[in-house]
Amino acid sequence: MASEQVALSYSIEPHHPPAWRKYLREMSVAAVYVLLLIVLLIRAPRFFSTGEFREVLVGHAAILVAAVGMTLVILAREIDISIGSQLSICCIVAGMMSRAGWSMPAAALATLAVGVAMGMINGALVAGLNVPSIVATLATLVIWREGKKLWNQGEIIQNLHGDFQWFGLGQTSGKWVLVLVAMGIFVLFALAMRYSAAGRAIYAVGSDREAARLAGIRPRRVTFAVFAIMGGLTAVAALLTSIRLPTVRPNAGEDGYELTVIAAVVVGGVAISGGRGTLLGSLIGVALLGTIGSSLVFLDSSPYWEKAIQGGIILLAVASDALYRRAE
Amino acid sequence: MNRSQGESPTPLVLNDRVSSRRVISTWLASQQGVLLLVIVAELIIFSITGTNFLSLANAFEIPRAGLEIGLLALALTPVIVTGGIDLSVGSLMGLAAIVLGKLWRDAHWPMEWAIAGTLVLGMAAGFLNAWLITRLRIPPLIVTLGTFSLFRGLAEGITRAVDNFTGFSDRFVFLGQGYFFGQVPAQLLVLIPLAAAFWVLLHRTTIGRALVAIGFSPEGARHAGIPVDRRLTLVYVLCGMTASLAAVIFVAHLGQAKADAGTGYELLAITAVVLGGTSIFGGRGSVTGTLLGWLAIAILQQGLTLSDWPRELAGILTGVLLIAAIVLNQLLVKMGQRKAATRRSDETAQA
Repeated sequence: MASEQVALSYSIEPHHPPAWRKYLREMSVAAVYVLLLIVLLIRAPRFFSTGEFREVLVGHAAILVAAVGMTLVILAREIDISIGSQLSICCIVAGMMSRAGWSMPAAALATLAVGVAMGMINGALVAGLNVPSIVATLATLVIWREGKKLWNQGEIIQNLHGDFQWFGLGQTSGKWVLVLVAMGIFVLFALAMRYSAAGRAIYAVGSDREAARLAGIRPRRVTFAVFAIMGGLTAVAALLTSIRLPTVRPNAGEDGYELTVIAAVVVGGVAISGGRGTLLGSLIGVALLGTIGSSLVFLDSSPYWEKAIQGGIILLAVASDALYRRAE
Repeated sequence: MNRSQGESPTPLVLNDRVSSRRVISTWLASQQGVLLLVIVAELIIFSITGTNFLSLANAFEIPRAGLEIGLLALALTPVIVTGGIDLSVGSLMGLAAIVLGKLWRDAHWPMEWAIAGTLVLGMAAGFLNAWLITRLRIPPLIVTLGTFSLFRGLAEGITRAVDNFTGFSDRFVFLGQGYFFGQVPAQLLVLIPLAAAFWVLLHRTTIGRALVAIGFSPEGARHAGIPVDRRLTLVYVLCGMTASLAAVIFVAHLGQAKADAGTGYELLAITAVVLGGTSIFGGRGSVTGTLLGWLAIAILQQGLTLSDWPRELAGILTGVLLIAAIVLNQLLVKMGQRKAATRRSDETAQA
């Protein structure tokens, strides 16, 4: 680790462009988000007064956690499309542990272990066996999804331990804890990506694998680690998703969960070619896409257009990005 | 064919003047060869365990059941050969199914025209993908992730996720459910010419060579005088059109058009293509391989069903097969390189 620090301390930004330029991409997405909130404030103040806005925050806390992991993976120039299946399995594990009478901390630890293990399998396939990440995670997506169906057969898990729903804290404080956990993870990783050697190593590997290797970083280890972290964060996301209901549904994470998360990260300005983007961008991306989805009803628009509008926003975001970079 | 045994300093690929024995042994050691062995193994196992597996009716039923995925896989092969990807094909099937129903039921177009209109829509959708990829230089993965949401969203928005279209004429439904001579499914008459067309395009035309070149290096291809953007546009437009065709057959097959047509098909189709030995990074691929990959998956699904084993096993085994095929392929490539380095290759080890 020490050698990484030494090597990297030279490479971190030799000159400092002004902050507004560096975060231009994040700021333009944030501007769009503010615009949306203003439109909502004028056209549909009920969106804020009925507590719907708070529900959006609570509902997307889990997605934010998954998006943190996905940001790391994409920054390292990989991709993980298996997280939807991972999330389902983690939900079921958490539910079954809780039903078997495990207390919440024990159940949470077991879920975390399962998540990290699944992430490590992805990591081993990509970093160890050199399988391209999109193919490796496509395979694990299918294996885990079908394995889950074989194992669980669509059964809804009931009779959970008392401290499962909202951590046994009741709805009001439970919601606070949920949002705090998500924000805590976000801040932790945002700081680590910016200031720690490990965080810079992820950027370095994503920007130029060979240069990173020559600088003393071990790219395989970094790749393996980001997939393991992704698995762990998926497990946390699964916990944050499933504690909101009195029962655990096995179909959480189906219907394109991974693509929702990737879309939020991409809208937030993280380049799919690796090495460029920040966690702050991903946060704004999650907020923007999440708010749009639930605000449609309040704007007298049919909620059935949600996916189409999300798709349009993804394309607009990347297209404006491309046009801007071409103009430069 | 030159029969100078073992003389030529063969790299494993693309050498016309190697002995026929070597051609066979090379082919067997390739991913397609492995896949062929897998298919044979599947046939042997399921003919023992499955009820009525080894019958003519079942031989035709296997390709019929997964035909739409086969069509998508065919169309995705040239796309992936160029180093691209199209995640939007499954969603486009949903949109195309809805547009077909709308044109036919609500706009009162005759069925033939409605099908033509749907195919044009598919080409337009493919063109949108291509335009964003070639003009704005956005990675195909991101573009088609966006249109993946967009197309499905449009289908859901138009139908408000509940409307569906039924009551199609017998003549149309025959396309998806009928049999010629009491045995041959009508859909096969769509698949076979299309497969032949894609094979010719990729392996027997200069356009196909251009696609491979683009997959190796877009910049190099451009310097070689290949109109890269136009070639890319062609493959995405073809892909969109084929996805629409798959939607038409899907609707005829079920007798119903709904917004959720083709959900998740893109991943199955990509699996078939990659299983068939096409490199996900582009520059290498074959239509034959794709067909074999698709057949391996289809036989697996049908065989498990007829053997009364759980359906989910098909997915699990497909995933394992996918990883195994790629790892094995890498091993073979490495072995090939080592052999090319030592020049005197011993044919026994390969066979």
